[in-house]
Amino acid sequence: MSLAAEAFVSQIAAAEPWPENATLYQPLKEDQILLSDSASSLAVQTFLRMCGLPVQVSCRANAEYMSPSGKVPFIHVGNQVVSELGPIVQFTKAKGHALSDGLDDVQRAEMKAYMELVNNMLLTAELYIQWCDDYTATEISRPRYSSPYSWPLNHVLAYQKQWEIRRKMNAIGWSGKNLEQVYEDVSQCCQALSQRLGTQPYFFNKQPTELDALVFGHLFTILTTQLTSDELAEKVKSYTNLLSFCHRIEQTYFKEHDREGQFGSSHHSKSSLP
Amino acid sequence: MAEPMELQLLCWGGDWDLPSVHTDSLVVLAYAKFAGAKLAVKPVDWTWRTITASVPQLYYEGSTVTEPTQILNFLRKQSFNADYELTAKQGADTMAYIALLEEKLLPALLHTFWVDAENYANLTRPWFTSHSPFPLNFFVPGRQASLALSRILLTKAESPLLNITEVEGKIYSEAKECLNLLSHRLGNFRFFFGDTPTSLDAFVFGHIAPLIKAPLPSGQLQKHLNQLDNLCQFCNTILKNYFTDATTEKRMDCSPTATHDPVDANLQKLTQLVNKESNLIEKMDDNLRSSPQHRPHRHEVKPSAMASERSST
Repeated sequence: MSLAAEAFVSQIAAAEPWPENATLYQPLKEDQILLSDSASSLAVQTFLRMCGLPVQVSCRANAEYMSPSGKVPFIHVGNQVVSELGPIVQFTKAKGHALSDGLDDVQRAEMKAYMELVNNMLLTAELYIQWCDDYTATEISRPRYSSPYSWPLNHVLAYQKQWEIRRKMNAIGWSGKNLEQVYEDVSQCCQALSQRLGTQPYFFNKQPTELDALVFGHLFTILTTQLTSDELAEKVKSYTNLLSFCHRIEQTYFKEHDREGQFGSSHHSKSSLP
Repeated sequence: MAEPMELQLLCWGGDWDLPSVHTDSLVVLAYAKFAGAKLAVKPVDWTWRTITASVPQLYYEGSTVTEPTQILNFLRKQSFNADYELTAKQGADTMAYIALLEEKLLPALLHTFWVDAENYANLTRPWFTSHSPFPLNFFVPGRQASLALSRILLTKAESPLLNITEVEGKIYSEAKECLNLLSHRLGNFRFFFGDTPTSLDAFVFGHIAPLIKAPLPSGQLQKHLNQLDNLCQFCNTILKNYFTDATTEKRMDCSPTATHDPVDANLQKLTQLVNKESNLIEKMDDNLRSSPQHRPHRHEVKPSAMASERSST
């Protein structure tokens, strides 16, 4: 959205309280959704739960096309549609719910920097593994991405998406990397996160922030999704404080709601953290 | 003969008081100075390597390393480590801030230098054309510009925003926010982690130094950066202490004296405002002179005004 449109949306958002029928749209959980989309969706769901805002999850095959920016997940609140974690955080802030208000300027700078680190390294690595690694792309990504569609549309859409992601990887210089280097990058990113977290319960000590939601979304999805090889999950598992961080957030925000609703964790095979 | 321990670096040459005008090359040069590594710097200007090599590139005893992060890792392995005294958490912060620079600031920098029509036509393209050999001078700037544009569009433009003008607003606002965040983080310290410079300082220096020093015709990001005194001072400190052959006598209005005196800061802001005013007055003056009623009788007008005069008379 342009800047003027964003400002306008914030103004409108500030006018109404959070409705009961807010919905979050993502691709089909069982068959279609891929690792990176699932991670982003989980991050948004975690953030909304941390704010205490109710949202229903609705799975649609064409969620990506419904979204205003082409990325999933997106939320439909009142008569507004907002996609991606960044704009959603701003939107909820306009409505009066914010997690990072207690941080001073330096801490907020750090939080933004770490969120960019996760987006830059983890998300890009997930996209690389899904679409640039031929074996994973052929076995998992293309079949899943195009599962709701019939021939020949499924081939066209899958290859189009793959081509688009590969172009992007080329532009940022990741196409020259091989899988080993990507795993190494993921490991370094997890090491940075682990060192930042230390022994604290959350990244900024007592209160969870959107950074915690984002990290949880990505790490939990990596740990519970089965890809062609377990190496990615192994890299994350080697950092015990990150594992316990994920357990803790799962316990706090998902298990208690699970008694009545269905959060059900994920997606490709395993059901909860080992 | 080359000494056995010689590290050779291929990079773009320097101008505007900087050892190099290329961000990645600056990062490597700065880190090498901080870590005390002696580099034999070989500028690729006026060689065929402007189009064949990916700059910067480090040669050492037969092995070649490209990309600033890889080069820094390599230098660390050769025990040129400027991050030796950082704690684990500070090392993690370094990675995070570098990611922030790449995601938020780099698109706007690429846009300012390579995509913005006025800057590209008046500054970047002439510079790179004059520093490339014939016939590469026809290709090199264009290729860099199209790479920059595609990078911005692919990473920042989401599907409804396929037009570059709509992305501009977004990337500049993100870049300004990023600069503000860096300024908050730096605070009143000399360097980001205390008194000795580290790899984060090298990265930040590499990104903001061209923006501060380049004489950009249209630079809204540059204006914003000039208002962040601590970042300007950070840049000038590094230039003065580590790149002493770069002349710093030519002071732009952003380089303050060594004191953090509030009076000096106010005086500086006043000077900037006065400069802006006089620029505006000059522009009005030139517009008046170039209108058809006035005969042009001043010979030292700016080239753009001269061109408009020629077209109007």
